[in-house]
Amino acid sequence: MIRRLPEILTIWVPLLLSAAHLITFTLWTIWISFTPSTLVPVTGWVGLRNYSAVAASRNWQIAFDNLLLFGSAFVLLSLATGLILAILLDQRIRCENLLRSIFLYPLAVSFVVTGTVWSWLLNPGLGIQKLVHDLGWTSFRFDWLIDRDMAIWTIVIAAIWQSSGFAMALFLAGLRSVDADLIKAAQIDGAGPVRMYRRVILPTLWPITITVIVIQLQFAISTFDLVRALTNGGPGIATQLPALVVYDLMFQRSLLGRGAAAAVLMLLILLAVLLPYAAWRYVQRRRAIHA
Amino acid sequence: MPITTTRRRLLAGSAAALALPAFARAQGAAKPRLTAISQWSAGSDGAAITALGKKFEEKGGVWQHSPVPGFTTEMMNKLRAQIIAGDPPACSQLKGPEIAAWSKIAPTVDLDAVVAAAGYEKVVAPDLAKLHKPAGKWIALPLQIYSTNMLFLSKRAMDKAKADNIPVTWAEFNDLAEKMKAGGVAYPVANGGTRPDDGQKFEAALAGISPAVYRTAIMNLDEKALKAPEIKAAFAQVRKIADWMDPNVGAQHFSTNLKRFVDGDMGMMIMGGWAQGVLRNAGFKFEDFMIAPGPSDNGKPVFLLNADAFIFWQRKEADLQAGQTLMAQLVMDPAIQTMYSQITGSIPVRTDVDLSGEGWSDGQRRTAAALKDAIASNQAVLSLAHNMAQENGMTAAMIDVITEYVKNKTIKPEQAATRLAEAVESAR
Repeated sequence: MIRRLPEILTIWVPLLLSAAHLITFTLWTIWISFTPSTLVPVTGWVGLRNYSAVAASRNWQIAFDNLLLFGSAFVLLSLATGLILAILLDQRIRCENLLRSIFLYPLAVSFVVTGTVWSWLLNPGLGIQKLVHDLGWTSFRFDWLIDRDMAIWTIVIAAIWQSSGFAMALFLAGLRSVDADLIKAAQIDGAGPVRMYRRVILPTLWPITITVIVIQLQFAISTFDLVRALTNGGPGIATQLPALVVYDLMFQRSLLGRGAAAAVLMLLILLAVLLPYAAWRYVQRRRAIHA
Repeated sequence: MPITTTRRRLLAGSAAALALPAFARAQGAAKPRLTAISQWSAGSDGAAITALGKKFEEKGGVWQHSPVPGFTTEMMNKLRAQIIAGDPPACSQLKGPEIAAWSKIAPTVDLDAVVAAAGYEKVVAPDLAKLHKPAGKWIALPLQIYSTNMLFLSKRAMDKAKADNIPVTWAEFNDLAEKMKAGGVAYPVANGGTRPDDGQKFEAALAGISPAVYRTAIMNLDEKALKAPEIKAAFAQVRKIADWMDPNVGAQHFSTNLKRFVDGDMGMMIMGGWAQGVLRNAGFKFEDFMIAPGPSDNGKPVFLLNADAFIFWQRKEADLQAGQTLMAQLVMDPAIQTMYSQITGSIPVRTDVDLSGEGWSDGQRRTAAALKDAIASNQAVLSLAHNMAQENGMTAAMIDVITEYVKNKTIKPEQAATRLAEAVESAR
């Protein structure tokens, strides 16, 4: 027992504390979502009224559509960017460490900073568009930030800049762990580099791909600070995302019940991603044991 | 919720009423102490409340102000946490209908005796007074007033348009904007892109077109008034304004464009009186711009009221109770209001303060005169964009419609009017 004390103190106590926090506050939020709470939590039961009010609101509908678009575009594009970067870095080039650090660096920057910097870069009157205009190409247009149909893509751009380095790092680790014998065998069989990647190396990467997808998806669902700093849901309410709606309902509008309902809806979306992943992991492990 | 008055506080109140200046010493037993929270930490706001704190200390009090920098909502989160924990501050910043909403979740102090002793009610705009006594008793005190629909005119843009008359009606405003455009002013209307910014355009338009419809539709949420033709006309005016604005502002703060405004690249700005302080702090001179009340179609000034206030939370401690009485007296004091407004650029809540002396700007004098005229003609109304007309939830639902309309030029004025009425219905 005494010998295991450090283990208990450093692992189990924090773990239990966080688990208790997580579960208590999740249950608390679920409970609040069924009460008529506004400024402060109150008891009472309103059934699903908060949920129907949130689901019927224009803000939530826009946020949900945006999440579908932003989530899929962001995950696919950051996956592709990360993979391409990883393959390029994998060519035994010079300064690999330096380049890797550069690509990973955005991950160290907080989302608020990313959002603020990109909000200046993408502002047509100050950033890229103005630069190109000043260079002489005056018909150039890049005003997505103020175009309510395209504004959601500015968030995709900033998010990809921030986190494709992360996908790259995971993919690079995967590429490096491919069995060297396998590659040699393919070379002896006369496979060119394109074919080698398509047929031999990339198929071994798919467990990593799924991990990256799941991590990026849960990031996409909970995106808050990035969009708050970049567009703050604007122009108008065109770039609302679920997390913004939750914050807005709870703290700006003082509608705790509805905010909690929106938070629970977000949790359900998250579970829709995480549960299949957990099931898949479970099946994998079973297979590995039986194999 | 009924507000119970303890005998001790009633005594304290009447003692205060009898012996105003010597009050702090007369109390003897309890040295007045005040715990206060507000969002005012920096700039002129921070300087003003620090100066108020100094005055409080000069009267023998202990000043314990904890500023919560950032948005008002962050200050509210702290207030909420303290109230739930049963430890509210003796007084906190809060304004508009939120005073009524929050007073239902924790007991507040009955200030009627102190207010009556100061003869304060006679010198406060009636609509404003109502907000601070939601259940008939004064529980909060307004501190300073801004008008959210002041019209700022760039001198250089006026020169470009070869105009020197300040527009009084919306038609004249529109004429001047056209003239500015023709004279080479890139954007006749200067603006930011935040939600309150968009909201201010709409409230200025509607109140300027018809203060009566503004009162019934926006303040009283009357269903028929929300469908009145004036609402549609206001949205049409907002569209004109939006077409004259720089579309590139994104979600920026209005202050980003002040240099272009002064340079004459942008012509007019519909903004709260606080913009005067921001312009002055940015190093611009009074010769660079003019300030006038916002356009009003009937020619008499319309005043969209925004007022900061303090609400007083019930505490059992004798020193805090003494502190609350002292604070209330200070906040109502014309000398203190003068000091405060001269720092922030607002105007005093009291309509009997003389602004002819030194330390006041022309803009402040004009604002104060506009308030007096507007009260006389019943055209002093409460600002929607700055959370004075409705509680936050209702305000946000309405601003959603307005901000989307400003940014989306495919929405027609009649559509926007319908959406506004629907948003009100679903947020009720």
